[in-house]
Amino acid sequence: MKKTGLPAIAVLSLLGLLAVLTLLAPQLLREREDGRLLALSVLLRDTDSSGWNAARQGMEQAADELGAELRWLTLTVPNDTREQEELLRREAEGGADAVIAVPADPEALRSALDRLAAPCPVVTLECAMEGSAGTAAPDNGEVGRRLAEALLEDWSGGDVLLLDNSGDCPETAPRLEAALEALTAAGVPAVRGTALPEDAPPAWVMTFEDGATRRAAAGKEGAEGFALYGVGASTAVTAQLERGAIAAVAAWSDYAAGYLAVRQAVQALRERSRPLDPLPFSIVRGEDIYAPENQKLLFPVTS
Amino acid sequence: MTFFRSLAAQWAQRYRKMSIQMVLSLSFTAAAAVGILLMGVSFIWRFSAVNEQIVAENSQKILAQANLNLDSYLRRMMRIADTVYYRVIKNTDLAQGSYTEALGLLYEENRDDLVSLSVFDSRGGLVSSVPLAGLKAGADPAESEWFQAASQNMENLHFSTPHVQNIFEDPETPYRWVVSLSHHVELTRDGVTEAGVLLVDMGFSGIEQVCRDVTLGRGGYLYLIDGDGELIYHPRQQLIYAGLLEENNQTAAGYRDGSHNERFQGQSRQVTVKTVGYTGWKLVGVAPADSWDTSVQLPVFGCFLLCFAIFLMAFLNILISARISDPIRRLDQAVKALDRGEAAEIEVGGCYELQHLSRSVRSMVSTMRHLMDDIIRQEEQKRRSELEVLQSQINPHFLYNTLDSVIWMTESGQQQEAIQMVTSLARFFRISLSRGKNIIPLSDELEHARHYMNIQQIRYKNQFGTRIEAREGAEGLYTLKLIVQPILENAIYHGMAGGEDDGLISVTAYREGEDLVIDVEDNGLGMRPETAASLLSGEGEVQTSGSGTGVRNVHQRIRLAFGQSYGLTIFSEPDEGTLVRIRLPALTEGEAARFRQGEE
Repeated sequence: MKKTGLPAIAVLSLLGLLAVLTLLAPQLLREREDGRLLALSVLLRDTDSSGWNAARQGMEQAADELGAELRWLTLTVPNDTREQEELLRREAEGGADAVIAVPADPEALRSALDRLAAPCPVVTLECAMEGSAGTAAPDNGEVGRRLAEALLEDWSGGDVLLLDNSGDCPETAPRLEAALEALTAAGVPAVRGTALPEDAPPAWVMTFEDGATRRAAAGKEGAEGFALYGVGASTAVTAQLERGAIAAVAAWSDYAAGYLAVRQAVQALRERSRPLDPLPFSIVRGEDIYAPENQKLLFPVTS
Repeated sequence: MTFFRSLAAQWAQRYRKMSIQMVLSLSFTAAAAVGILLMGVSFIWRFSAVNEQIVAENSQKILAQANLNLDSYLRRMMRIADTVYYRVIKNTDLAQGSYTEALGLLYEENRDDLVSLSVFDSRGGLVSSVPLAGLKAGADPAESEWFQAASQNMENLHFSTPHVQNIFEDPETPYRWVVSLSHHVELTRDGVTEAGVLLVDMGFSGIEQVCRDVTLGRGGYLYLIDGDGELIYHPRQQLIYAGLLEENNQTAAGYRDGSHNERFQGQSRQVTVKTVGYTGWKLVGVAPADSWDTSVQLPVFGCFLLCFAIFLMAFLNILISARISDPIRRLDQAVKALDRGEAAEIEVGGCYELQHLSRSVRSMVSTMRHLMDDIIRQEEQKRRSELEVLQSQINPHFLYNTLDSVIWMTESGQQQEAIQMVTSLARFFRISLSRGKNIIPLSDELEHARHYMNIQQIRYKNQFGTRIEAREGAEGLYTLKLIVQPILENAIYHGMAGGEDDGLISVTAYREGEDLVIDVEDNGLGMRPETAASLLSGEGEVQTSGSGTGVRNVHQRIRLAFGQSYGLTIFSEPDEGTLVRIRLPALTEGEAARFRQGEE
């Protein structure tokens, strides 16, 4: 016993320790899994969130699955950069674990984020922001180019007006530039404009943001004769597309964008994030609106 | 192969260096660990199988209940359709009235489940509809899948897959997802029947309520597909529609009712299918494998049990093996102490076999000690006897008397006798030494006796005669040296000294079987047999000074050298003379050489 005493005691101690650790391990793991709910703030650039219903559903689905709670914040003035910066600061300092933002001005928001003492992950919708944890949006340049290609399939002559009346929406510019480039390359005369000319509207009009598409389609009711190619998948835009006021739209699932934004934010917090791929999008023409795939894209399932 | 041999050799080497306690502890612990491991694996495997079966049975029960609810819901919708057809359409002539009021009442009664109730004519024209009053501009119901299904299959009710109802103008909710129940009907217009289609648009909420809150184990869910695998309801339907999630619905459509195991997107899961009556829809319950599988929790628990069992077994094994091996260890220590020449007490303890072993070892040690004592004593006796013999050869009286006789003979001019005596004395001492050899040829021994007797006869003036001979067969044999002379000396001093001149001492050597026998006989005074017997033992009779010591010495030397069956035998009677018979093994030259080597 004297000879084997020390090793035996060491082995017994090790086994005892193992037994205790094995007993405690599942409990420790369970406690870690439980965790608290993550607080995510959603900063919009609009004064209300009615235009973000589909995205909201997607965000809530993801929040429910991933253990997060959402706080929705809107601006008092649309696209008010200062107010959005202030909201970002307040939320970050107020304990938000991450922020999902539709930037009014990506550069300003980035500056505000840099000024924070303890910056939190920010995921953007619609347009990219340098320094963000990810962007749940399609490739805006590709959106403009593919929309221009849809127009070119129908084009039979005449100027194309690239309507830029979306205010300060930062995602518009790359779409417009890509469309302009594609049209120019195809030898189609294209001009920029901030409003529809009332007296002699052009035969072809392109818009690059949901609100702009909606307004242009509404304006078309009083000015027959131009074909409208726009961006958007809101109910209003879809209704105009069904009516024929819009020839084609570039549409993507806002539900998917919202879901991915929340998932990316949570993964960033858990240090498991990977770069998000650009959202897939489709060019939907009026006559194809009820194709099964387009139904699923344009109309969120609601009970 | 070489590696395994090397490993086995290493283990064998370690095994040889291990204490019996360590071997016992490790063997018992290893055997226990293997046993527990096998039991654990068997337990986990069995537990998983039973768990899987329980989950399957549970899923089937839940699906049966969900199926009952869904069937009840669908039958309610069918009853509504039947009510519209048999109570409203059949009883109303469109030329005289409208369906709207009756449809309105039915709709209000079931508005939680219904989106709309509509009747179309055979061309798709809207006959009546509640609550939606009109069709969208350009809407063509006849092109709808539900319309065509009802028109083509007139007997049955037809349930569509979920779709956005796009024919009605609905300012509040323009794009609703519905499941359409359509049925061919016969409209009556002015007494004439015509074909039509009844459309009952069901909201999604009814189906969702049936399926939504059904959970199958941890992380399980229920979804609904039509016969072609098209999704009707899924708890994450929008994610699937958005392309963020995939479901194995097409494969599930091919499953028969019951539970199936499948692997989808790297995840093992149990899928339970139940076909919904009439519609051909299928309820599909999905239970991820980790909701019942023991791939993580149970192995962790098993590891805990294994560690704990090994801990306990190792502890007990060390205690038990110590108890078993402690007597062996003490026996080993005692034997080692004996090896070192230390005095050690051998304890008798432990189990029966060990007690027996300890007793045997103790007995062996005791025997060894006795034997060693005997050997030491015998060696001592042998050494003393040989010393005494050698001392007797240089008896100062004998030497003095001999030399005195030589002087006397020289002075008296008996030169020849003097020379003979001195020569015999020299030969006598040379043979006595024999270069230190203990075994010498019989001829040398007899010559030694002859020289001795020559000297004594001169000294005793030939008072007795001497005859020394070796018979045939005994010449080449070997004998222990200096065994005849002490007996001759005894015969001269005690048999012949006071006798007449006709005394005779004869020495006869002969072979008797495997023995060499040397008889030394005299016709002197003789002695009583008791006295003769006591001469060899040295007990009983009172001995005169020096008498018998040489004889006894010879007797002991022979017995020490060759064993108890050899030695002297004395036959004597008073006035009859004495015969001393010396019995030895008949040693040839080779045997004598081996005997010398054994002595060395």
